[in-house]
Amino acid sequence: MTTTTAPQKGRARPGSDRLVAENRLGRRLVLPAVIVMLFVTAFPILRALYLSLFDYWLTAPDDRKFVGLDNYVTALTDPLFWQATGVTVFIMIVTVSVELVIGFGFAMVMHRLVFARGVIRTSILIPYGIITVVSGFAWQFAFSSTNGFINEWLHWVSLGNFPVDYNWFGDTWPALTAIMISEIWKTTPFMSLLLLAGLAQVSEDMIEAAKVDGATWWQRLWKVILPNMRAAIMVAVLFRALDAYRIFDNIFVMTAGAQNTESISFLTYRQVIEQFSFGMGSALSVLLFLSVLLVAFILVKAFRVDLAQARQES
Amino acid sequence: MSVTKRRGRRLATLALSGVLCTALLTACGEDGTPTLTWYVNPDGVDTLTTLAEGCSTDDYRIELQELPSGATDQRTQLARRLAAEDDSLDLMSLDPVFIPEFASAGWLAPLPEELAQQATDADVLEGAAATVEWDDEVVAFPQWANTQLLWYRRSLAEAAGLDMSKPVTWEQIISAASDQGGSVGVQANRYEGYVVWINALILGAGGAIVENTEAGTDAEVTIDSDAGRAAAQVIADLAASPAAQSDLSVSNEGTSLGLMYPEGGPGEFMVNWTFIYKNYEGLTGQPGGPADQAGFEDLGWARYPQTVAGQESAPPIGGIQIGVGAYSEYPDYAMAAANCVTTVDAQVQLAVNNGLMPSRASAYDDPGLQEAFPPDLLDLFRTSIDTAGPRPQSAYYSKISGAVQSTWHPADQVDPETTPGDSAEFLADVLAGEALL
Amino acid sequence: MSRFWPRFGMVVGIILILIWCLLPVVWILSLSFKSEDSIINGNPGFLPSEGTFAGWDNYVGVWENDQFRRAILNSIGISLIATVLSVALATLAAYAIARLDFKGKRWVLSIALAIAMFPVVSLVGPLFDMWRAFGLYDTWPGLIIPYMSFTLPLAIWTLSAFFREIPWEMEQAAQVDGATSWQAFRKVIVPLAAPGVFTAAILTFFFAWNDFVFGISLTSTEAARPIPASLSFFVGSDPFNRPASLLAAGAVLATIPVVVIVLLFQRKIVAGLTSGAVKG
Repeated sequence: MTTTTAPQKGRARPGSDRLVAENRLGRRLVLPAVIVMLFVTAFPILRALYLSLFDYWLTAPDDRKFVGLDNYVTALTDPLFWQATGVTVFIMIVTVSVELVIGFGFAMVMHRLVFARGVIRTSILIPYGIITVVSGFAWQFAFSSTNGFINEWLHWVSLGNFPVDYNWFGDTWPALTAIMISEIWKTTPFMSLLLLAGLAQVSEDMIEAAKVDGATWWQRLWKVILPNMRAAIMVAVLFRALDAYRIFDNIFVMTAGAQNTESISFLTYRQVIEQFSFGMGSALSVLLFLSVLLVAFILVKAFRVDLAQARQES
Repeated sequence: MSVTKRRGRRLATLALSGVLCTALLTACGEDGTPTLTWYVNPDGVDTLTTLAEGCSTDDYRIELQELPSGATDQRTQLARRLAAEDDSLDLMSLDPVFIPEFASAGWLAPLPEELAQQATDADVLEGAAATVEWDDEVVAFPQWANTQLLWYRRSLAEAAGLDMSKPVTWEQIISAASDQGGSVGVQANRYEGYVVWINALILGAGGAIVENTEAGTDAEVTIDSDAGRAAAQVIADLAASPAAQSDLSVSNEGTSLGLMYPEGGPGEFMVNWTFIYKNYEGLTGQPGGPADQAGFEDLGWARYPQTVAGQESAPPIGGIQIGVGAYSEYPDYAMAAANCVTTVDAQVQLAVNNGLMPSRASAYDDPGLQEAFPPDLLDLFRTSIDTAGPRPQSAYYSKISGAVQSTWHPADQVDPETTPGDSAEFLADVLAGEALL
Repeated sequence: MSRFWPRFGMVVGIILILIWCLLPVVWILSLSFKSEDSIINGNPGFLPSEGTFAGWDNYVGVWENDQFRRAILNSIGISLIATVLSVALATLAAYAIARLDFKGKRWVLSIALAIAMFPVVSLVGPLFDMWRAFGLYDTWPGLIIPYMSFTLPLAIWTLSAFFREIPWEMEQAAQVDGATSWQAFRKVIVPLAAPGVFTAAILTFFFAWNDFVFGISLTSTEAARPIPASLSFFVGSDPFNRPASLLAAGAVLATIPVVVIVLLFQRKIVAGLTSGAVKG
């Protein structure tokens, strides 16, 4: 997302008045947006940093006392914290991988589409536009053993081997599966659109040339198409991964964290909003913030990609 | 636990409350009459609406604001408003377990001397009166009370040779149900209802989850005791017996309703709240209910089972108390309004219309109520509320409850040898802020 | 190789995409027509089974619920205001980023990028604390402000991508004619940029409409509670089971605006998403 920093043709002027004016105008134009963005993020996170040093309960505001880093020590040595982190990372890895594969399939289909373009594009935008909470409800009820249809269908497909009264929300793994399916359903379309944009940039000539050279479909995919849309894939993965790491809505709606399906966002929310534990909740907020930074850092390093650059390419 | 079942008239209620609220909203503020906002839990909203209208005067109008259905959500919504020092929060319907927390945060306006005495006079059943006091002050008006009984099929008890005219123990009903191919319905999902059960079991054995709760986070954790082990024993016995219901680990007040009158089998023993009677009465001849009047008459009730034979049980207590917000703009009006919606007359209306039992003894003598329920059942409700055992009255109750839930769930993993000790340790850590919940 | 297989694969692919996208939508529609009584007793199956078709009952029930109606009103109002404000600020910023040279541009972009990745939940505690001090708790502005902050990166990106495509010679021509940068911006570029602005507005609206975390943490009554939060707190008549079919009806109502927007503007949305969007 950088713009050309070199002065543009025909506008380079040695006189600095114009440049100073432009500099001033530029700053003036971005200032309101920057203020709004920082007011709701930087300031609160600094405040969270401060509050995290206290034992502070909303229900007993007068008993607030300074405890230093105790909250961090408690959180980082607590099995619940690590379990929530584990669940979150697991959800992130599984959903993003599945979305990448399915999304790529969708993108391939859409790329070659000669008819029904409008219909497909419209349909694919519906999951994208639907409220996550609605998606969570739809899938929760679909998996419900009393009012859903999935058990019935699985029962039928498995020739009667799958129990009709299977309780998907009675245990960790099935409940996580249901949550991840809702998450994957809603976000794959977004992934596929980003990948579609990447596909459009792979030159047809190169694919044709590979074809003439006798490369199989599989070879063309791995040697020509994928390497040429690296930037698009990375952008898609990076943003989806960070999004998945913050998973909250689906868990809130579908299990409310029961059966150990709590994500790190949900754990933080519960400490702050349900337990009113502002000290510990703030410490968890800070840890959540840092862990997102860490995930972003790891991904960016792993991809060795300049994000700003990649955005522009895609 | 504020729980009722209103299968009929649900749409009517929704529609009615919708229309009334809209009407009120447009009416409010036009003529400058102060409006008192009463945050209510969604039980008996139709009657509460009538009460609010009847208690509105020329000086003020009472307007309802409905809270979410879950007890946890109700607490969060109210607490956040109170923490924001909201001056439009005038009256609130409170589950008794929230009162210590809200009162110690200074969110409840204490009742003036005269009203305080009136709200806790001798007519108020003891179980209900005990839950409105905090720090030697009365901080809420008891409105209605809930308690759990042992509900069962008379034919099942008879077949098992159980004499239900005498107090029965958990051991007896578990083995009776097992012998006859019946089941025992409890609440053991990981939620507040499970703590209701655990707490009643422990109190029934003469113990307590925590003691000296006034000390806040320094309260003494006493769950690791003989009483705690006796409670764990009952839970472990039930979980291991054929009488356990298949959805034990996710069971709540609704899941075992269908097993009282199953397609096949002798039915169940079930501990559950007062709504059960009206529930099956309304379901007579319908799926999930008794087939006919004779089937309905097979429904029996008895005092909450004993944890230890010979030791009187401590039935759970729930219900609703009306508190006045400490930041209310019109505290005097709010006090008067709260008093008005908790009179004997108001309690009778709630009981007759919605099956929400009065917290005042004299209300039970009302002819309308006597007609709606069998006299012996009314008596049992009254005694049960009068002798009920509350959950720990601590400002940190939600932590206590959460810690107990997390160590005692699922029920089939409860071990009398280790669970009480583990939960005591975890509970102490949680209270000390050394463990996450 | 014949032409049959690619074409066959294409058709299968299209069918799969359609099933993927529409099955859950059809399911929630179907659920919304199951009768409430049948849900309490358990009514499995994709379509309402015999005798359990409720007609419009659930929709009437939801619509007559005052809390839900208020929530729709809140969501529409809050989302629209946030969208207008956010897009207005983003337009200014995006213009500067796409067109002007100024110090700190990279810094602005980094902030936008960081905010796009920000874990929203980590803000609810401090924001609640701030909002109750400012009296913004449970008010429309209390939600509009965070929605603006979190949609700005998206809007800035989309818009600056659009702005780069605009024929800027026209602006230069205007400047040669003596117009200042500001005048050139207002008179020449704004009309040209309108389609991009519109796209950014749609994406911003989707974000605000979808938000849940702020919706549940920064409100507590129908004074400001938006639809997603209202759905999750929906009080049914049966305290032990979620009123699945009523909720489904509410969910369908909440989805209608999204479907309408998608039907009308799918081209613009796809263009916006793939040109500069980060997430919606």
